[in-house]
Amino acid sequence: MRLLRFVARRLLQVVPVLLGVVVLTFVLVRVLPGDPIRTILGPNATEADAAAARARFGLDKPMWQQFLDYLKGLVTGDFGTSIQSGAPVGSELALRVGPTLELVVLAVGLALVVAVVLGVWSARRADRFGDHSVRILALVGNSMPEFWLGLVLILVGYSALGWFPAPSGRVDPDTDLTPLTGADLVDAILTANGPAFTSALSHLALPVATLAIVVVAPLLRSVRASALEVLRSEAYLAATTHGLRPRTLLRGYLLRPALVRLPALAALVFGTAIGSTVLIEYVYSWQGFGQWALRGLLYRDYPVVQASVLLIALGYVLVFLIADVVHAVLDPRVRI
Amino acid sequence: MADSSLSRSGVSRRSVLQLGGGVALLFATGACAAGSKDSGSGGKSAGPATGTLRIAVSSYLSSWDQDFVGFDLTALMLYKNVFPYMIDYGVTDAGGSKILDTGNITPTFAESFEPSADQKVWTLKLRQGVKFASGNELKAADVKWSKDRAFAAQANVAGVYRTIGLTEASQVQVVDDYTVTFTQAFPSALTRQIQAISLYVFDSVEARKHATTDDPWAKDWLAKNAPTGGYFNVTRATQGQEIVLEANTGYPGPDPAKAATIRVTVVPDGSNQRLQLQNGDIDVALGVGQRDIADLKKTDGVTVVSAASNEQVAIQMSVTTAPFDDVAVRKALAYAVPYEQIIANVYGGDARPTRSLVPLDMPGYDEAGYPYTYDVEKAKAALGGRTVNSELVFETDNDTQQRIAVLVQSEARKAGIELKLTPLDPATLGGRRQQKNIPLQLTSGQLWVNDVEYMLATSFVKGAALNYSNFTNAEVEQIYEQSHTTVDEAARLALWKRVQEIFAAEVPWVIICQPNFNLPVRSSVAGWVQPMDGLARLRYLSTSA
Repeated sequence: MRLLRFVARRLLQVVPVLLGVVVLTFVLVRVLPGDPIRTILGPNATEADAAAARARFGLDKPMWQQFLDYLKGLVTGDFGTSIQSGAPVGSELALRVGPTLELVVLAVGLALVVAVVLGVWSARRADRFGDHSVRILALVGNSMPEFWLGLVLILVGYSALGWFPAPSGRVDPDTDLTPLTGADLVDAILTANGPAFTSALSHLALPVATLAIVVVAPLLRSVRASALEVLRSEAYLAATTHGLRPRTLLRGYLLRPALVRLPALAALVFGTAIGSTVLIEYVYSWQGFGQWALRGLLYRDYPVVQASVLLIALGYVLVFLIADVVHAVLDPRVRI
Repeated sequence: MADSSLSRSGVSRRSVLQLGGGVALLFATGACAAGSKDSGSGGKSAGPATGTLRIAVSSYLSSWDQDFVGFDLTALMLYKNVFPYMIDYGVTDAGGSKILDTGNITPTFAESFEPSADQKVWTLKLRQGVKFASGNELKAADVKWSKDRAFAAQANVAGVYRTIGLTEASQVQVVDDYTVTFTQAFPSALTRQIQAISLYVFDSVEARKHATTDDPWAKDWLAKNAPTGGYFNVTRATQGQEIVLEANTGYPGPDPAKAATIRVTVVPDGSNQRLQLQNGDIDVALGVGQRDIADLKKTDGVTVVSAASNEQVAIQMSVTTAPFDDVAVRKALAYAVPYEQIIANVYGGDARPTRSLVPLDMPGYDEAGYPYTYDVEKAKAALGGRTVNSELVFETDNDTQQRIAVLVQSEARKAGIELKLTPLDPATLGGRRQQKNIPLQLTSGQLWVNDVEYMLATSFVKGAALNYSNFTNAEVEQIYEQSHTTVDEAARLALWKRVQEIFAAEVPWVIICQPNFNLPVRSSVAGWVQPMDGLARLRYLSTSA
């Protein structure tokens, strides 16, 4: 009950935050230099044509009225119409979010598992060869730009070894996958489409690996540092001297306290991962949210930029909420 | 609870996890291999099936609605192949390659398109029995609805129609089920070329079903649903990934599609297109950069088709912004640009030097139009010992423009012109162009209509959208007005000669070169026809694999 109250309170706090984001984004995107209307008109367009196009998108109205229209639309779930494509932003968003979310969730999930396993393993072998190797590898992974790493993995995995499909999409179109959520793996499961599932999984392998390698280092270092602290704590030493079984020591005394810091860091990493998808989607022809938002920004497609920033803000808030809840579950000292 | 029940059954959690992990690993490995095999794209695949071409493009189209779409090359190229265009360019040989012949425009889906004696009324006669994918027959009412829609859109077609005196929907009239007339305000030599890029037709019967009071032209529906009835029909469009085109077997005119199926796949990264071409997973790469193309020329199984193009690379100088409001400074820069060095280093020699702002291969091209070659001493002399500062703007992420800018900066400095290089993203560039405050900018592009009148309309008359140099000249304006109603070829050529004399004296642009169009394809691909408007006609392509 207390947890529910906490979640409800936090969700209520989201409202003013999102309202601030809505106002700021609306103003800032219009302050940026550039005219979105001119990018959609042909070379023979006159000022009258440009005025007609502005009217079509409601950009001829006063700024305050545009803002009120935008707010009204948001309340009814209408994000507006993309200036570039002429399609409703909501439907484009629905197509784009699923693939990116699938990519990010799988990559961060994989990175978390690797970080916990290797971080604890490394801490228990502190300053030995294995520990040094893991730390150096994590550092190297963290130092590599995702764009370059993606190209290298494509060269090796697709071009040289031929183990993975060509980086040209998220699923083989011949599998006739019916899109439901936009996340191809999920859609394949929901529609019980086996070939689509294997195809989506094979297409996911390299981009997920790229993203996971890029984000794993801070998580791993955090887990290792926490685990080392615990291993050197009086409580852990006392438990060891009492002759507790290694499994009990690991589960009861090491793992849980070592993971206390992880949720907040994972939430931050989640945000970084969303940012990284812009380049990863480009390299792997992923056509997800990152590429869509970037194109919107480059062409000043106001409704697209507004919707994507709002969604990212909402994502951040929700991820940090989840992190706080998990933190409270892991650390009994935290009361929510 | 689960833990204790597992322990009672004698199976530990570790065992379960190990078993589960093993199965997952096996499944994932199998999935990767299976996915690789299923997609036909993993590793060294055997190549395309007979009759199927795979083309990589850099982006997915933004909309299927040609009346409202922006400058989206993928979309415009696809429209050429899926819309029934009533007339189109023929094909001719040029220097060993085939190119679209802008001087020979022939009926395709139409039976004929001919003018009246005074060349003001053009009559379009449709072939009978031509059908859209819906089964509806293409009739005069579809042409009328399509053009009414274009005028209502006040966008692409409406803009270009002004150049031939078509400004109102009432100028397009249905005569009978298979005949439509276009009554122009004046006769124009451009009519055929303008209609070649504008006379596409919607399935109006189908579109009307999706029109509403709020959306009388079915914009929402047409933005999402591919047009039908062209050389190809879209049989599948996977958003963001792939569009499958099947040849329209009902096409009634000359030059039907040669490939039965074309799969247009989105691969944004040029280097990935290169890899997939090398591996035989795509047949045509429509987005590979100059450096990758140079490497692909040495690759087995890959051919780089090279064809003369009318793409112009230029530096537009703002004649209203200091220091380029001074013609002497414009001339100095024209002498300071290392033309041959750019052709050799940036284009690997695969570009043509040019001597006029009128493109090579455009009727009326005159070598006297640009009497400037690289000569630092002449540049210094033109500046008269002064040193001037400015900025040179180019497109962000345009590697070719960046390399040109660096070379120009280096040589201009020797002449006394200090240039600050400024890369700009598309919207900022567009905004600054609208404000007309860019003193110097690199541009590249080709005109959709191969005619000087159209070039003047888009680039050199007052208010023209591509007139980034803010060039105005009373005589050029007068020649432009005169050209509207001048249909005699010799008279037009005389006008163009005078225009080029003015350009030579005024120097609104530095014209750098015309790069050849290079297209890397698998060696099994044949039939590429170089489009003079930059929009590939896929019907000519075939594969022998």
